Amino acid sequence: MAGQERRIDDTILIREAQRGNRAAFEELVRHYDQAVLRLALHLTGAEHDAQDVYQDAFLKAYKNIGSFRFECSFYTWIYRIVTNLCLDHLRKKNVRKEDAPVAKDGNGGEYNLLEQVPDGRAGANPERDLMRRQLEARISGALEKLTPRERMVFELKHYHGLKLRTVGEILHTTEETAKNTLFRATQKLRGALADMR
Amino acid sequence: MKCEWVRENVTLHVYGELADDARHELEQHVARCADCAAELKAEQEFHALLSQERAAEPTPNLLAASRMRLQEALETAEQGRFWHRLAFDPANWLRQVRFSPALASVILILGFAGGVGTSYKVFVHQPSGLGVSPAPASASNDASITGIRSITQEPGTNKIDIKYDTVSTLETQGSMNDQRIQQLLLFAARNNYNSGVRMDSVDLLTQKPDVSQVRDALIYALRYDTNPGVRLKALDGLGSFVKDDVHVRDAVLEALVNDSNPGVRTEALRLIEPVKADGSVRGVLMTLAAKDQSTYIKSQARTMLAQLPEID
Repeated sequence: MAGQERRIDDTILIREAQRGNRAAFEELVRHYDQAVLRLALHLTGAEHDAQDVYQDAFLKAYKNIGSFRFECSFYTWIYRIVTNLCLDHLRKKNVRKEDAPVAKDGNGGEYNLLEQVPDGRAGANPERDLMRRQLEARISGALEKLTPRERMVFELKHYHGLKLRTVGEILHTTEETAKNTLFRATQKLRGALADMR
Repeated sequence: MKCEWVRENVTLHVYGELADDARHELEQHVARCADCAAELKAEQEFHALLSQERAAEPTPNLLAASRMRLQEALETAEQGRFWHRLAFDPANWLRQVRFSPALASVILILGFAGGVGTSYKVFVHQPSGLGVSPAPASASNDASITGIRSITQEPGTNKIDIKYDTVSTLETQGSMNDQRIQQLLLFAARNNYNSGVRMDSVDLLTQKPDVSQVRDALIYALRYDTNPGVRLKALDGLGSFVKDDVHVRDAVLEALVNDSNPGVRTEALRLIEPVKADGSVRGVLMTLAAKDQSTYIKSQARTMLAQLPEID
């Protein structure tokens, strides 16, 4: 029922926004912007990049809301815009990666020096905090080895809990393809993190 | 073959993405096959390992900063071409321009006053016999310069001509019957970023709910104002029209179903009491009585329904 109410609510706001009502659009933004920012933040890994994706996504939505025809939910539509922007960002990041300040660890594996800078926040348990940070760094490194599309499917499924059918809709593909992509992504991640289990 | 199928689908199983029959089949197989049981366990452990790292929620500061930045950008952003929207939905366009006279009047008043103020300053301070006017420095004391339109220098002289726009703060007084006061209040109710000003304007507008433009502004405030206090004020002003105006009734029902504030919802529920026998109201009450998350709303809806005569 909540979903249906949200949809009715969104429909009114979208129609108002299509008539040029900026306040209605801003209200619509508030329904989705936390999820959008969370996705952008996790995928880009940097607050300023996440803010850029957020800004570009909603500006694009505002400029094109006149062409929204209610063929899918606004949720799917805005996620489609955000995921496209994030995919572009990931692709550019992959190209730039060669310039990142990398070093070799004891096993010959590469790690990003910037990720090793200690976090200034005080933790209740420094040892546990260190382990958590190491785990995060490993997972983050493994996620970065995925292709942008694998990364996106994994992100939407694992961290955002979306159904694969929705993921397929967002990425303009089939549920079956999304399933295969998720399978490939988890296989790669399992391989990369095998020693951590 | 079966083991291969299980290995391919164990990820989907862990993520709850397998169809019921396939899930049953997989579970049956795993119960008999040690290798596949080990594979499932490994996948579950891996899933648990990854779940230790959760996607960080953006901080409230980051969210607030992003919203502010977007708001600024939206002020200068343009939607798709105007004629495009016009061609697609002329009826909506007509509804949209209903308030244009009020807006146009306000813009005209501000523009006229700003223009007069600027000309006055330039005229008063222009010293005779000198080619340079000191006006801009003093003009900026009581009027903000919003843009420079042109800068020209007369050839062969040192006289510089600058055309610029200003916005100045003006004051007007009048009663609620004064049309200009009403127009300004209508503008403030919809467009002011200060919720205190919106609250004051909506409060005053509730004195004139019989004027259709005022009623529309109250409905707008009830639907879209972000401040629950303003929405409550709008509800107060609309209360007496729930019975006779179907648009008001719909807006109050919307608030009852969708509003995020329990106080607004409770007030909306109180207002629809006199029209609880109406078909649309009854439908909403039945939904609320069956499923609403608020125990109070649910029980009140049930009580109101119980007071209604049964219908076949």
